[in-house]
Amino acid sequence: MYSDLALDLTFHALCDGTRRSMIHALANGEIRSAGELGRRFRSAQPTISKHLKVLEEARIVERKVEGRVHQFRLRRKALERASRWIARHQAFWEGAVDQLDRLLAEDAER
Amino acid sequence: MITDKSCAEVRRRLAYPPEKVFAAFAKAEVVTRWLTPSPEIGLTVLQFDFCEGGSYRFAYHVPGASTVIVGGSYRVIKPPSKIVFSWVIEPPDEHAGIQSEVSVAITPDGSGSELVIRHEKLGLTDAINRHAAGWRGAVDQLTQLLAQEDHND
Repeated sequence: MYSDLALDLTFHALCDGTRRSMIHALANGEIRSAGELGRRFRSAQPTISKHLKVLEEARIVERKVEGRVHQFRLRRKALERASRWIARHQAFWEGAVDQLDRLLAEDAER
Repeated sequence: MITDKSCAEVRRRLAYPPEKVFAAFAKAEVVTRWLTPSPEIGLTVLQFDFCEGGSYRFAYHVPGASTVIVGGSYRVIKPPSKIVFSWVIEPPDEHAGIQSEVSVAITPDGSGSELVIRHEKLGLTDAINRHAAGWRGAVDQLTQLLAQEDHND
């Protein structure tokens, strides 16, 4: 299924600290060059390019080439479905563990 | 919304020993009393085979909405410290078919225990490996079929 492959790519892209930091650097709709994004990390340029390529393939960022400068912008749509999945399951387990805690307390009183 | 994590995780200290916490996962009649996101959402256990390789199927009754069915199988069961199971929501649901895995770790903490539940979507690598295994199976079958035909000729 195409949509599941898309979601796999999103999660794979999110599964890395450097890439998450890059997403944060673009979170307010800024447009930044590969150089600007790379300067925040102590990684070699090919490593930065690789991270940006993963983000681009997951359609999390959009690349615009102007001469020799590659500009990047965040595309929010790819992140939305993954974010909802994470939020939904986070809420599920928080709620379930609350109930488990209460149940164990009730059983201990009896 | 920008997420910081690619998984859901809950970490909680409970005032009860690991054996008691583990037991709450192990019996259908207990699971039905707590394994829902809120008291308003009821759970009917449709299938519950709590052993390694065994399957479960839960129906969640959301007030004013359709029932959500979740199923999976137990991959690891190590009383009283570890449970790992797969988790897939059935259609129709926004997240139907997404393969994920829940890891429950229960460790002693003083007179109580620490419970850590990690819920991760299985990554791209897993998906690739699964497909690779599928293809290997198909190729094996094809090889056998061709060998048989060869034999028949």
